Amino acid sequence: MLASIIASGLAVGAIYALIGITYNTMFATSRVMSFTAGQLGMLGGVFGSLFMLRLGVPLLPALLLTLACCALVGVLTEIVAVRPVLNSLEQHLYVLTTLAVALLIQHTTAMEWSTEPQPFPRLTNIGSGVLDEKYWLPVAACVVTILGLEYLYRRTLVGRAFVAIAEDNFAARALGLPERNLRMASYALAGAIGALAGFAGGQLLLAFFANGPLLNFYGFIPVALGGLGNNRGAVIGGILLGLFQQAANFLVGGIFSSVAVFTLFIIVLLAAPQGMFGAQAARRV
Amino acid sequence: MKITRRALALGGTGLAVGASLSRPALAQNEPIRIGWLAALTGPSSAPAVGFNRGVLFAAEALNAAGGVKGRRIEIITRDTQGDPTKAVNATQEMISQLRVNAIWGPTNSGESLAVTAIMARAKMPNIHPCVVDTLIDPRRYPNAFRISPSNTQWDDAVRNYCMQRINAKKVAVIGDTTGYGVSAANASVAGFQRAGAEVVYKANIDATQPDMTPDMLRARNAGAEAIVIWSVTTGMIARMLNTRATMNWDVPFVGHPSLSSGEIGSLIERPQNWEKVYAIGYRSCSRDAAGNLPPRTAELVQRLSGKVNLQDTLLWWVACAIDAVNLVARAVDATGSTANEAIIGNWNATREYPGFYGTYTWSPTEHNGYPTDEVVMSAANTARDGAFALAPGY
Repeated sequence: MLASIIASGLAVGAIYALIGITYNTMFATSRVMSFTAGQLGMLGGVFGSLFMLRLGVPLLPALLLTLACCALVGVLTEIVAVRPVLNSLEQHLYVLTTLAVALLIQHTTAMEWSTEPQPFPRLTNIGSGVLDEKYWLPVAACVVTILGLEYLYRRTLVGRAFVAIAEDNFAARALGLPERNLRMASYALAGAIGALAGFAGGQLLLAFFANGPLLNFYGFIPVALGGLGNNRGAVIGGILLGLFQQAANFLVGGIFSSVAVFTLFIIVLLAAPQGMFGAQAARRV
Repeated sequence: MKITRRALALGGTGLAVGASLSRPALAQNEPIRIGWLAALTGPSSAPAVGFNRGVLFAAEALNAAGGVKGRRIEIITRDTQGDPTKAVNATQEMISQLRVNAIWGPTNSGESLAVTAIMARAKMPNIHPCVVDTLIDPRRYPNAFRISPSNTQWDDAVRNYCMQRINAKKVAVIGDTTGYGVSAANASVAGFQRAGAEVVYKANIDATQPDMTPDMLRARNAGAEAIVIWSVTTGMIARMLNTRATMNWDVPFVGHPSLSSGEIGSLIERPQNWEKVYAIGYRSCSRDAAGNLPPRTAELVQRLSGKVNLQDTLLWWVACAIDAVNLVARAVDATGSTANEAIIGNWNATREYPGFYGTYTWSPTEHNGYPTDEVVMSAANTARDGAFALAPGY
């Protein structure tokens, strides 16, 4: 039982962590919590199944196509739902606009794809039992994403520009950084990360339009637990959430495990409102 | 020509008398209008697509034979898209503008719950195949008749199969977290306990839960001899079947018709994961050990051949819809009237009407017309031309 809890807990935790990173990547350059993050994860599974099972595209081209399609969805989200409300962030209009786009994505998928879960193919045929690829693939995808982002942010000019925008938008613009283009690029990157979450977790979650809201909720928790904008916090929060959720599933059952998860979530936020790894925000006086 | 008040009054009176005298003659030539509330598009449209094939086939067959007392059958279809609001609008249109003589449908309980009271207020004769028990109440809804089993009858069939055919006295009852899943699982647990069985495990599982190992492990540790499923969620069911195979556990699955959905076949990891799975089916649409359908159904399939595609639908959907249209036609034929009271009165007097899908009996106090003994279990993985093989034990 312990092996099952750890295997499935790490797998779903890695998926939640990747969705958390998707939230953070979009937030970093726009200060907008885009509720399309979960839908991007859902689309990763749907596009993966579409390209590989229905259209017969081989694995690597299918993965690249999936990432590209979701990156495009990310860019469209920025244009349609984020850019128009950036001037009134304090009114939280983005809650409405990004939720509207999320609903649009979900309903379009339901109509054009299927309202029933569709199969997602095995990708490598490596492993069985608790070492089955459906358990280790999301973890591997999470590790690759973290390493890639660390490289991007620390070693590349574009990555440093992202960080600059995230740190101080006005100062970055004053230095001549193309803020709008960088924001669009970050939404494309977020789309690709969300897609990778859905693609790697396809065998666990299946290609199912209803996965969007699930990933939206459970992907948000690591962000809140780990601290908004903190990717490392999101990863640790996601993994802990996955393990706790699966342990609760085994010990108290499905419905009660959700109650347990949200109870813990509320307790952590009461104890540390800025998240476990977030810094206390400075307040202008 | 000068129009005087006297001429106008005489002319008006003449027209009114003429119109009233000609009404019976007109009514005799008017088509029999059957409203058909069909969720032909949108989520869960598969049943209505199948029902629709039966509706069109029955109407064409009746019209080709000269109609009913010379009156054609006219099917007036409205696509409700599975949306209760659209079903309400379509129902009101059918009652007040289209003036249909009877309504067939809706074919899912959510829509039916929304429109049943509206039809009752208009005293509109209504036949539907929805399973929720509360949809049928001859006192509150004297116009509504069920042509398929109720949820209680499904429950009885599943329980009887578990306890009498496969001798499972310890069962695990699992539903999803929808309203239907919760209420059906609770009713099932109560039924098993009343019948003296032991419900060793009960759970409601979120349809999107990715790993079913926890619940399956608990069911096995509790000593379950059968898993009873109340869910329409094919993803959840397929995950449970895959988990059962991973656990090397050969416990039978018994329950909701969704267990036999074609979607399951595409979601299971190996075809053998679908063995020992028994879904609710109907004797009229089940093949026996020799692979034969009952003679009357075989005759229907012969007639449908080349006209109605049965490859991608279920035979009972088609047969049930044919019966619904025929029951309206039969009522008009027997009473010579399309008046609401005449049709409802005829249905109330129906005794063992031999339809293709079932043998129906209604009375003024019982509008559940489908016999429980015709509800059987099917081997879920044996679909062929919309029909299934009977589960072992019959």
